[in-house]
Amino acid sequence: MNSSDRIELLIDPGTWYPMDEDMVSIDPIEFHSEEEPYKDRIDSYQRETGLTEAVQTGIGELNGIPIAMGVMDFQFIGGSMGSVVGEKITRLIEYATNESLPVIIVCASGGARMQEGSLSLMQMAKISSALYNYQSNKKLFYVSLLTSPTTGGVTASFGMLGDIIIAEPNATIAFAGKRVIEETLKVTVLEEQQETEYLFEKGLFDLILPRNLLKDVLSELFKLHGFFSNKNQHES
Amino acid sequence: MASLPHCPVNFSPVSDLLRSSSSNGVPLKSLGRRVQVLGSSGGKRERGDLVIVGAAPRKGKKHEYPWPANPDPNAEGGSLLHISQFKPLKEKEKSKPAILDFEKPLMDLEKKINDLRKMARDTGLDFSDHLVSLENKYQKALKDLYTHLTPIQRVNIARHPNRPTFLDHVFSITDKFVELHGDRAGYDDPAIVTGIGSIDGKTYMFIGHQKGRNTKENIKRNFGMPTPHGYRKALRMMYYADHHGFPIITFIDTPGAYPDIKSEELGQGEAIAFNLRTMFGLKVPIVSLVIGEGGSGGALAIGCANKLLMLENAVFYVAR
Repeated sequence: MNSSDRIELLIDPGTWYPMDEDMVSIDPIEFHSEEEPYKDRIDSYQRETGLTEAVQTGIGELNGIPIAMGVMDFQFIGGSMGSVVGEKITRLIEYATNESLPVIIVCASGGARMQEGSLSLMQMAKISSALYNYQSNKKLFYVSLLTSPTTGGVTASFGMLGDIIIAEPNATIAFAGKRVIEETLKVTVLEEQQETEYLFEKGLFDLILPRNLLKDVLSELFKLHGFFSNKNQHES
Repeated sequence: MASLPHCPVNFSPVSDLLRSSSSNGVPLKSLGRRVQVLGSSGGKRERGDLVIVGAAPRKGKKHEYPWPANPDPNAEGGSLLHISQFKPLKEKEKSKPAILDFEKPLMDLEKKINDLRKMARDTGLDFSDHLVSLENKYQKALKDLYTHLTPIQRVNIARHPNRPTFLDHVFSITDKFVELHGDRAGYDDPAIVTGIGSIDGKTYMFIGHQKGRNTKENIKRNFGMPTPHGYRKALRMMYYADHHGFPIITFIDTPGAYPDIKSEELGQGEAIAFNLRTMFGLKVPIVSLVIGEGGSGGALAIGCANKLLMLENAVFYVAR
């Protein structure tokens, strides 16, 4: 599911205000690969998908409850996390910290962006530090939603730091990829071993939710944690 | 490593995964690889041919989800009921309640009353005097039986198979309840259930031992005997409740912690001890309620509370 559809699914129509839409990656380490320079690759994906980067962040209302949401998109260079993705998510969390909003991040990623080298790796640390402030100091509420596929750096940072972790059915969720495990250890990894249902039994997630129930259950969770809807004030 | 045959909970260690679960027992290492055929088999393949070893796809492992195919968004109780795995039992299972032997006279009286009522309905004759006297007799017998219970009878009632379980209580007292799973450290123990629910609009964290309502569920729930993973799940939830400021309500109903070697290796004692110590450091109020049997340490691990309550026919004991 691409990020715009996801936003339509979860956010009430007419309430979505995107943030940092104009942030674009420059080529920080001047990665010149033989097939295609990094900058051209970004341009071609921007034209293909209409997105500027692999994540869309913004503020919206979910059944009337104001939330901050970030949605990653696997179609943009495999959802890989580069410095722009890291910065956008960090700014989202910092905004939510200041405005006391709950945060949802929909994760879909193939890992860190190779073309940006160690800078991509540092995004994991940066987002986690923003989350430390958000979760431990201000004690707000962060839900991470893991979709297919969620691998690599995202699983090792903000994907698994949610107060509540929700996974979608039949999603591939992993840290090291199947091929890496197989080649390093010479064992066979079945596909099911990195799927939601198997990992759920191993205690990794709080809930598995299908898309049609997602919005309702999320709004119930927010209400249980003390975030109420703007409309119908007298009822809540 | 084979698991013990009577062991209801299956922890499959990594070495088990290296063998295919399909009946031919082919080692998984050889899957997808080309192996040399050593003998000739059936004439078609020659010695020395390379053959790709495959395994049949796992049959019958389709995961069952608790929500219906087309969930009604306006269903009574909201969408939270759709995602709960605790569904009401089917009618045919409800109609055969288990009866303890000292309850038999009472059951016979009740049967007599019901038969008389049925006869009155069918024939139209007036049995109301007879009915009233029988009902008075029943009430008196009920009161007599339950005020003069011997200790062993009380224990049997506490362990009664038809006694309401933790989730039965939770769903009847809360407006909304979401079960949260997993200790994020290896296993989602079915014997301890945790979740957040709201009573009169205020949110609470519910933690409790869950027994099954019939044999199949009992096996799934490991008869309410938690492993260290279950206690660590409870611990994680207690930290969560402390963090967000939800008061904790725990329901105790366990014969004890699960006494097997695997649990010993994972630190059953340490898990319980850690829980005991942590519960005294939490800033949120904790209320514990024994709804069935409280078996020793396994019960105390979620029972160090500000107030400990017990139901009338519940028991709390130390076990060897």
